Amino acid sequence: MNKHFVIAQKTGLMFRYDQNLPQDMGTWIQKQLQVASPALGIATSDAKVSEWPQNLQPDLSKRASMWRRYRALEKQRREGKNGQDTQAARQANRHENLMREIDEHKFVQRNVYGADQVKLRLTAFWANHFTIGNTFDTGQMIGHAIDEGILAKLNGSFADLLYGMTTHPGMLTYLDNVWSAGERSEQAKGCARKPNCQAGLNDNLGRELLELHTVSVAAGYTEEDIRAAANVLAGWGIDFQKELPEMLKRTGGTNHWNAYKKRWAEPGSKKVMGQRIYAGRSGLRQLTDFLANHDATIHHISTKLCQHFVSGSPTEDQIEAVKRVWRQSDGSLQLIHTKVFALAIEAPEAKFMWPMTWLFQVVRLSGATYFKGWETINDYDDDLMSTKRVFKELGQSFWSLRQPNGYSDNKAEWMSAEMFERRIRFAQSIYKNGKPLQSVGQIMDRIGAAQQTRALVASAGTSPGDQFITLMCSPELMGLEYV
Amino acid sequence: MSKLTVGRRHVLKAGAASLFLAGMPITGFTKTKPPGTISVIILEGGMDGLAVIPPIGDPDLMKIRRAVTPASYLPLNEFFGLHPSLKFYAQLMANGHASAVHATAFPYTKRSHFEGQNLIEGGGLSPFSEKTGWLGRALDLSDVAGRSLSLDMPLILRGHHENDNFYPASIRGSRRPNAQLLNIIAMGHQMDAAQLFTKVARKSEANVQVPRDPASLAKYAGRAMAQAEGPVASVIRVGGFDSHASQTEDGDTDAGQLAQQLTVVDDVIAGYRRGLGDAWDDAIILTLTEFGRTVAVNGTKGTDHGYASVGLLAGGALSGSGVIADWPGLSKKDQFEKRDLMATIDYRSVCAACVEKSLGLDHDVIAKEIFYQPDLPRIYDHLFT
Repeated sequence: MNKHFVIAQKTGLMFRYDQNLPQDMGTWIQKQLQVASPALGIATSDAKVSEWPQNLQPDLSKRASMWRRYRALEKQRREGKNGQDTQAARQANRHENLMREIDEHKFVQRNVYGADQVKLRLTAFWANHFTIGNTFDTGQMIGHAIDEGILAKLNGSFADLLYGMTTHPGMLTYLDNVWSAGERSEQAKGCARKPNCQAGLNDNLGRELLELHTVSVAAGYTEEDIRAAANVLAGWGIDFQKELPEMLKRTGGTNHWNAYKKRWAEPGSKKVMGQRIYAGRSGLRQLTDFLANHDATIHHISTKLCQHFVSGSPTEDQIEAVKRVWRQSDGSLQLIHTKVFALAIEAPEAKFMWPMTWLFQVVRLSGATYFKGWETINDYDDDLMSTKRVFKELGQSFWSLRQPNGYSDNKAEWMSAEMFERRIRFAQSIYKNGKPLQSVGQIMDRIGAAQQTRALVASAGTSPGDQFITLMCSPELMGLEYV
Repeated sequence: MSKLTVGRRHVLKAGAASLFLAGMPITGFTKTKPPGTISVIILEGGMDGLAVIPPIGDPDLMKIRRAVTPASYLPLNEFFGLHPSLKFYAQLMANGHASAVHATAFPYTKRSHFEGQNLIEGGGLSPFSEKTGWLGRALDLSDVAGRSLSLDMPLILRGHHENDNFYPASIRGSRRPNAQLLNIIAMGHQMDAAQLFTKVARKSEANVQVPRDPASLAKYAGRAMAQAEGPVASVIRVGGFDSHASQTEDGDTDAGQLAQQLTVVDDVIAGYRRGLGDAWDDAIILTLTEFGRTVAVNGTKGTDHGYASVGLLAGGALSGSGVIADWPGLSKKDQFEKRDLMATIDYRSVCAACVEKSLGLDHDVIAKEIFYQPDLPRIYDHLFT
């Protein structure tokens, strides 16, 4: 492939078939990092690309009230009240009040049609770093966390990103913190006096905050440190289904993103990895700032960034270069990302693509229409599967229930016959049902396909469908090396 | 019937050995099939062994963990009970086809899911030290294949080139891939990727459609392993054991998150039983989990990451039922780091015994070449005689 596409494959999502190529790739990356970018998509299959409508992007309070409404109607359904016990009513309730499918659809459309491809790749990286699995009511919040917790914070500092994601209601719910009470909190003490009441510490988020989100096990912290971190976190967050007035009364916050229940908080200062953390609501910011600037965090995440964008096995020098920028800039994400991309451009080797990244690239290069418009999301379509189903079949979705360590950047985790079968089948499906606007020949000319790729495609015979599968599953388009 | 089958295999094995000694390799000779099959159910999240096989005879149990101990446990003997969700497993126990090993763990005490999962699958001396898995290495030594019922190839099976996986797709607009095309694509790829595309080609010719719930996959795996040319090992993953909150339901300790997941495990074992048919007689199934959970109940009616747990074993290869344990006790002073159930049996020894039984490998070879621990204790006789 020519340089433009080699870089776009590693750092972005490939240039859409109708997109003009920039003069300078470095400037192209910089511009995307600096400019705010709206979510792009299509309203219907034959509509022009435009911005997603505001009414499909509700804020947290609206999401919470939709969730309460959903639960109330579900209750009526179970009790057979108000005509809610019909299939139609149930479906209407889901369509009107649940955000999970709309959010994933928006994420996917944005990745297919967006002009901010580098930013979207970064968003995916960080959404994976701060994994929120789809469990209980988090499905209502994951999309919000990705857009407002990550994409909107890509130009700030890592410390801001970390604090925002640690306190996001999606994270606080996924890792059980909304139910955790400090060991000596008023809530725990009060509960101890009552029968059938239980309240106390749950260390799930405290543990993953240290292990996955910041310093990693290599830092050698103890169970005491985890417990102390959990005690700092105790009190943060509240059940998403709590009525708003009650929530406000009990937390003193203004929305679910800053809800802090004093009654559940652990009194007194704590010590995490030698650092004294003061009591009260500001203790958490103190803790996440301490962790964000810890050398072990800088090493852990610099390594991860290099593995994701630069090379499967990055050199010490590459990691060190990112760490240096991180320290010098006090964790400025924009400068860190710039350095990572510079290294990615310099590094000669191909980078194996995650299934979702590969799929977005195939759709963009070929100009296929593989996903429905936002207005037709709930309509049955003979050709197009629901977005939810596509990514379930592909085996990778930010809206799946999965473990908090997220998807691996280790190529070996993605090397299996079934995973490869999916690539074949999706290439076939995109060709047949997505009806690409570009022919295989046009795509190969545009990207400057390697001689080996052309030879491989030629050996597949004359069927345009077979040629399409062969091109998209060639080493070059999968980010694998040739023999 | 079962004894006859085993006998025939022994004869075949002896035959192969003598041919080899005579220095007359015959091309196309079917390689010796090992004496049995081995299936691993990976329980992701860290299973609470104390709730699955509650030590009802331990005076501290109800004092510390009444909230998470199932009220209607089935008494197995004077000391141990069984979670009521494990109904099929209970029947197997009654028939001498299931056992449990308690207070057991891999030697890993740091309570991270991801280090723990890597270690129990890799089977090396520390987390992330291995690129292959202990079962993959065992299969490689025996030169027989295994199959994972998952989209990915789990670490535990990596290490033998013939291993493959199975997880049927359902994608609109895609038919069964054309095997000829797949072989062409394979030729354009480097070794590891080429092998995978070739496997896809082979699979597309078989065209199997199976529902994707764990029990159906287990039944399919059992059926495949029962065939003469089928895989000798299989792996299934069941998630959802990380019961930090609401491990049991309010007012019903028999129900809740753990009970639900145990029903899945029970269905998987029943699926294997049905699929294996007569091959059940030589089959061994074992569970694997990264750690147990705290002895004490936490503040959200769940339990946090701990150390020792329980391993469930099933299959006709077992010659009797029982709970094998060197019970450490539950009181504070008996706990590991004053919080967890202490491990008194190295679970690698359980895995080694299952490999020895099913693949016919020598314990010393298993200890040295699979687990890199030459002095790993052999506990085969406790499980299989």
